[in-house]
Amino acid sequence: MNGNVQGGGGPQIPEIRLPNLSPRLIARLAVVLLVVIVVFTSFYTVGPEESGLVLRFGQYVRSTDPGLNFKLPLGVERVMKVPIQRQLKEEFGFRTATSGVRSTYSQRSFAEEANILTGDLNAAVVEWVVQYRVVDPYKYLFRVRNVEETFRDMSEAVMRAIIGDRTVNEVLTVGRAEIALQAEVDLQELCDQYETGIKVEQVVLQDVNPPDPVKPSFNEVNEAQQQRSTLINEAQSEYNKVIPRARGEALQTIQEAEGYALDRVNRARGDSARFVALYEAYRRAPEVTRRRIYLETMNEILPKVERKIVVDGDLEGVLPLLDLSGAVKGGDQ
Amino acid sequence: MRYLGIIIGVIVLIAVANAFYVLNETEQVIITQFGKPVGDPVVTPGLKVKTPFIQKVNRFDKRFLEWDGDPNQLPTKDKRFIWVNTYARWRISDPLLYFQRLRDERGAQTRLDDILDGETRNAIAKYDVVEVVRSTNREPELGGMLEEDQVILEAIEAGREIIHREILANAQARTTDLGIEILDLQFKRINYVDEVERKVFERMIAERKRIADRFRSEGEGEASRIRGEKDRELLRIQSEAYKTAEEIRGRADAGATNIYAAAYDRSADTRSFYVFLKTMETYPVALDEKSTLVLTTEGDFYRFLTDADGGR
Repeated sequence: MNGNVQGGGGPQIPEIRLPNLSPRLIARLAVVLLVVIVVFTSFYTVGPEESGLVLRFGQYVRSTDPGLNFKLPLGVERVMKVPIQRQLKEEFGFRTATSGVRSTYSQRSFAEEANILTGDLNAAVVEWVVQYRVVDPYKYLFRVRNVEETFRDMSEAVMRAIIGDRTVNEVLTVGRAEIALQAEVDLQELCDQYETGIKVEQVVLQDVNPPDPVKPSFNEVNEAQQQRSTLINEAQSEYNKVIPRARGEALQTIQEAEGYALDRVNRARGDSARFVALYEAYRRAPEVTRRRIYLETMNEILPKVERKIVVDGDLEGVLPLLDLSGAVKGGDQ
Repeated sequence: MRYLGIIIGVIVLIAVANAFYVLNETEQVIITQFGKPVGDPVVTPGLKVKTPFIQKVNRFDKRFLEWDGDPNQLPTKDKRFIWVNTYARWRISDPLLYFQRLRDERGAQTRLDDILDGETRNAIAKYDVVEVVRSTNREPELGGMLEEDQVILEAIEAGREIIHREILANAQARTTDLGIEILDLQFKRINYVDEVERKVFERMIAERKRIADRFRSEGEGEASRIRGEKDRELLRIQSEAYKTAEEIRGRADAGATNIYAAAYDRSADTRSFYVFLKTMETYPVALDEKSTLVLTTEGDFYRFLTDADGGR
């Protein structure tokens, strides 16, 4: 009976389109058309990643799995499909224009979205992505109006609350992973509170940067850090160039001294051994040996000396007679 | 007669059709009779019946609805202007009251604007900026950071969460008689106004400059230290080597002297022999062809010149 009310408008259309046919034929055609409509509105397919929610007069009655499914025809039951297996994502601070192997990103600035105040009252530009899935299609469809917009608002609020509790340096460096994790937890909590039927799969922080006007000075810090290393390395290399060589040279000096010491001691030992031996021999015949050594020495030196003056021991005052200057002159020539 | 029947039939059909209405999962309904609400609100979905023509269906959303605040420049207690953008979630908790007071959603949004913007303004003016930005007195993580970056965050008394809860509580109190329940209010965005932002950026730049300067001077200082260490080390190594070498030489000289003394200084006899021997060794070196020797026949060597017995 209810079906008749809903389908009432259906059979009336051919009556207008075919005015010159007999009423019987019209009635038959109407029945055929009705049957066709009934058949075609009583099944539907649900895609592999979807879940079908069947509404009977606007009231939710059951969920159906992927594949071919049947429902009451003529608008009695309607189907809404929700992609529950698909991972959905929202981007903040940037937008992917076309995704692919090499994705292009929208050039528009989403600075409003990405500018976030940090706990030390500085600012950071944070771009992030939230990946989520619909786990409760009923809630997703019927509990919240404009779920996606709501979800975006929630994400922004959560991210700002978290970053507002951290220093800009934490946000830029060590805190990234922890911020993403915290955002995931907080966002899920809010999703449950708002009955969105959404499960947050992952929050990913993309680019986290200082604001554009501040960027160059952040780079300057990096440069200065490099400069510091360079200066230290240069000094270190100079040190390394000089000190090991000096150590080697010092060892050389010491070795030379040790060589000298050995030389000196050995020579002393040799000299004294020679002397002792000589003395032992000399002691046996001192008079003769002494004389022999004396005469041998004289033998050696007298031929070398060109000017020799021999005076009688009795003669006295020989020195004044000598022309010493002439003798020296002669010696010079 | 036949046409009259058809007309009556059509009228009955329309009346029957008008007696039914479909209520969706997302809706709730107030039935009004000549503009006056009758009966309880209908909140369960499905096919419903009403008196045709006389009763009118007024549909309201049953879901959580959004409210997005207008971004507003607001002064904080410490006289800084910030942009505050809030959002709220609300729902029609009492459709009858809502219908009587606000009529439709446009009316509701306007009232919410008044209430929420006002409460937000009040709350922001009561707190410093830092209270609005921070949520807790969490200790910042400092591991592996530069000395300058290890800032201690200013402590807060209330914090973001308490402030938006306060706004929410105040707003909730004012919306109960509108049939509206506000579920949540959050600060979506808080940003500095342009001139404050410029100052903040300047401060950040100055801070970075300071760190960069420190790095440079640290580099120079460290390089100087290394160079100084190098010079010191060089002198130390060289002088130590000199010292050690001279010690070794000294010990060797002393040793040699002892050895000589042990050999030469044994008795008067060895001493005189040494003097004799050394003198003899020296003569050939000391005398050469340029020397003039004056010798007397009384000397040991020439004494035989005058006397075969050597003058004895």
